[in-house]
Amino acid sequence: MGLLADAGYQELRSSLVMREPHEQAALRFFDGDHLLALRWDYTTALARMLSKRFAEPPPRVSYAGAVFRRANQPWEPVERFEVGCERIHTDEVSCEEADVELARLLMAVPATLGLRAAILQIGSAALLRRPMEAEALPKAMADAVTRALLRRAPHRVQEALGDHPATSRLLAHVEALLSEAESSDCASGLQVLDRSPYSQLLKDEREHLRKTLEALSPLIPEGLELRLDLADVQGLDFYTGPTLRLYAPGAQQELAAGGRYDGLYPQLGKPWFAAGFCVRLSPLLDLAETRPDLFISFEMETP
Amino acid sequence: MNQSGRSLGKEPILIAFPKGRLGDELLSRLEGTALALDQKALRSRVLRIPTATPQVQVLLLKGTDLPRYVAAGVASLGIVGSDTLDEMDVDLLELADLQFGACRLSLCGVEGLSLDALKHKPHLRLATKFLKATGAWLKREGLTAELVPLQSSVELAPILGLADAIVDLVQTGETLKAHGLAEISVLGTTSSRLIAARVAYLADPERLRPLAAEIIRLLCNK
Repeated sequence: MGLLADAGYQELRSSLVMREPHEQAALRFFDGDHLLALRWDYTTALARMLSKRFAEPPPRVSYAGAVFRRANQPWEPVERFEVGCERIHTDEVSCEEADVELARLLMAVPATLGLRAAILQIGSAALLRRPMEAEALPKAMADAVTRALLRRAPHRVQEALGDHPATSRLLAHVEALLSEAESSDCASGLQVLDRSPYSQLLKDEREHLRKTLEALSPLIPEGLELRLDLADVQGLDFYTGPTLRLYAPGAQQELAAGGRYDGLYPQLGKPWFAAGFCVRLSPLLDLAETRPDLFISFEMETP
Repeated sequence: MNQSGRSLGKEPILIAFPKGRLGDELLSRLEGTALALDQKALRSRVLRIPTATPQVQVLLLKGTDLPRYVAAGVASLGIVGSDTLDEMDVDLLELADLQFGACRLSLCGVEGLSLDALKHKPHLRLATKFLKATGAWLKREGLTAELVPLQSSVELAPILGLADAIVDLVQTGETLKAHGLAEISVLGTTSSRLIAARVAYLADPERLRPLAAEIIRLLCNK
């Protein structure tokens, strides 16, 4: 939280109980009259609070606390502790600046946590979303394509598209997105989009990513590796632009994630733009216990 | 601390291989390759079986357990049938269709039974271990049925009256024939898949991508 406070992020606290729990993973209960849920996501909880109580958004917001979600796997906890921040603005021109600001902040997180090494991956949800919208894929088919790419399984993408007229174009696009994963060079990574039939359609997104990478590259701290992951489609229903994911080599779980989500506030009646990230403290604490060798600050001095 | 993550976590890479029919075919395909299993260790009770490649070890697991080991990151890579994957809700990467071990997922019943006859049963009972795939097929066909979950010897169900028909994997059809059963309809096809732990694969690409590429090269070209 100190890192976020130093960067001008003001801590806000949202209620632990949320109304209108549409989220399937929420832990829901009745209070006698209404269906409620324990807070399943801080970003959504804060957005609901801010859109109701603020005429203009506070530009920098941070949070820390527990969220509760049904576990998908037996080893996943229901209660998870998260620390995160949201950068909210009212004009579209601030998007690039805000995205770079958040990525810079996230780049500072591994050293703050004492991690010896980390990988920050940058992707963009728009790289799959826009071609699918342009081809007017039916929702069920678009969902199946997204699930297949989430698994990085081009053979499943082909199955999902079947004999749709756009199959060959979308397959070529998916291959381009996945081929980038073979390159660890961020600068040349974007060039694979030239192979995509949608390279013109995606020129703004590409330019946005290029500028972000260009701004970040000189600032990469020691021990951090910056990677481009064009096939990142996790949270495609939520994210609308660049996405960020933080990993530590040797860890089995993602340590932080975030990105641009310009669709949330308009749904709540506010024409605001937003991006943010959240650091998952629960897996970090597990990691500190099981792999102390990955942390500088957890090494024991021997006399 | 600009030592890359590559220099950390130099533990052996664990690959999960399936036991059973698919595993037998896999091991025979890998004989004499860089991923051939150490025969002495294979015959012993060693849990992590060394391969011909140093720093690459294999876990032999039951097919239905295997995706969980990979999803949890215990094993970084794995090979499993798509039928098993499709029945489970696990978060992992499915890097390639390795194409061997191909089977049909079929609706089967006693010889002479037709699909039409089954569709007109007022209370259709289908025995299977493929509940999701069978449910999806029933939905596509606009049918309803009572599903009888079974884990093994599914072909006994229609013979002994536990169900009207079964949904099971068919490779050659010999087992069905031996029990007086026949395929009525093919619901889909299955094959072996190369899977990977999401975070391990994305966070340690220098070690895992070449190994995944080698597995694909060894198994897809045979």
